[in-house]
Amino acid sequence: MDISVDKTRANMTPLKIAQLSKRYQQQSGRFTDAVCDVSFEVHAGECFGLLGPNGAGKSTTIHCVSGFYPATSGAVFIEGYNTYNEPKSARRALGICPQEDTLDTDFAVLDQLVRYATFFRISVPEGRRRALALLERFGLQGRAKERVDSLSGGMRRRLQVARSLISDPKVLVLDEPTTGLDPEVRRVVWGILRECRDRGTAILLSTHYMEEAERLCDRVAIIHKGRILDIDSPEALISKHIMKETIEEEVRPGIVWKRPPNLEDVYLKLTGSKLGVMDV
Amino acid sequence: MRVPDSLWGIRCVWLRYFDAFKKDLSYYIVTMFSEPVLYLLSFGLGIGSLVGALEVHGQSISYRSFVFSGILGQTLLFQGFFEASYGGFIRMYYQKIFHAMAVTPITLSEVLWGELLWDATKSVTAAEVVAIIGVITGDFAPITPLAVLPLCFLSSLLFSGLGLAVAAFSQTIDQISYPQYLLVFPMFLFCGVFYPVETLPKSLQLFAWVFPLTSVNSLLRTITLGFPFQIASVPILGVWLVALVFGSRRLMFRRLVK
Repeated sequence: MDISVDKTRANMTPLKIAQLSKRYQQQSGRFTDAVCDVSFEVHAGECFGLLGPNGAGKSTTIHCVSGFYPATSGAVFIEGYNTYNEPKSARRALGICPQEDTLDTDFAVLDQLVRYATFFRISVPEGRRRALALLERFGLQGRAKERVDSLSGGMRRRLQVARSLISDPKVLVLDEPTTGLDPEVRRVVWGILRECRDRGTAILLSTHYMEEAERLCDRVAIIHKGRILDIDSPEALISKHIMKETIEEEVRPGIVWKRPPNLEDVYLKLTGSKLGVMDV
Repeated sequence: MRVPDSLWGIRCVWLRYFDAFKKDLSYYIVTMFSEPVLYLLSFGLGIGSLVGALEVHGQSISYRSFVFSGILGQTLLFQGFFEASYGGFIRMYYQKIFHAMAVTPITLSEVLWGELLWDATKSVTAAEVVAIIGVITGDFAPITPLAVLPLCFLSSLLFSGLGLAVAAFSQTIDQISYPQYLLVFPMFLFCGVFYPVETLPKSLQLFAWVFPLTSVNSLLRTITLGFPFQIASVPILGVWLVALVFGSRRLMFRRLVK
């Protein structure tokens, strides 16, 4: 259709968050600064992690990324389109897996994937083909005709990640995608996300699983109280903030673990959390 | 925003509702049609044969015909209100359908139009069945189902707007009972469904006219039974329609979008 437009958009940063701030009024009437002056870009073929404790502003950031919430100041661009002002154009390239379960309980597993595809103007036969392939990859092929209610929590989560991939998005946004998944299934999902990244998808991943961030993310932003404390690769963050080669930790009286420092140590140090009593 | 794009989005939403409806057809047929049919039988045949004819606006009319037209208005109110309030609340709060659709190329604005149009569609369909029954029983002229269609559509949109506003306002599903008992049931009982509003004491009549169902019933009876046209019903209906349709959308936006 608009080939000229697509050409100019092709070289644009898939996802750009520019000085994003979000303040909103709580039910108590108090104002909260959920996100303060957050800026970063996610490039094609890059997995970018948003790492932070609950309430750090990760989900609010993602609501602004999808264009569901307006930014108080700053903006989010997907392929150059402002996600709030031009949501239809921006979201054509966006696949999103929200934190909350938004699966459609009125429809069977396969049906709802095909229906969701039609929201992106994907024809029913094509949507069906994609849906069947996704169900296979996520190990849900035997469940195609079942209602969502009959699935376990882990299966629902997998289905929701699968749904976010149905439009073959250029920008994939996942809000804590592997919460509630057992280690084996988590690895399957990681494998699929890696494949997406290798095919050139820009991935924004919010998580509080350090291991997930360390394994998957090319760059990580540590976010706390709405502000980004640092952005870098997991390795660079560790060597920058943790000066030791080995961390010693007394896990039980008399039992001391020695291990190399990891992202969790950086996270705890930067967010000032005293959850792990160690000196790093 | 280009218009065709928005219409496409609204159509997607409406189709989602329609397909869910088709899947549970027996449930919907029972819940949509049993109520008006039971009222028709009970009031039309039971009380109708007891009362016989009524003298309204200097016109003699069988009570059965009078109440058939009232049930038409009541059906629009109940089907529109309950689908949008309870149904809308379940879809918005429990199923999170609005959240799921409004992060795709469909916008929240389109989702809410689709919701209102679907609620109205259901309400009009149920009302049309009542109108057709009225034609079969000889209470309405054969043209009636077609003649009342535009008014039914606007009225159903109005009552759906009321329901959606209630859904947007309620923190829990139980809170929907407040407007149900304090607003919808009084309308049902005092706004000319079962007897002419004119039989009420003057002060209560004025009160009845404030609520939109009185105007809806008045206009419906002008079309179905040839009652005199009461001009006040047009502005009353118009104000409620605009206020509830746009007000409910605003309330829903306020609730969902921070």
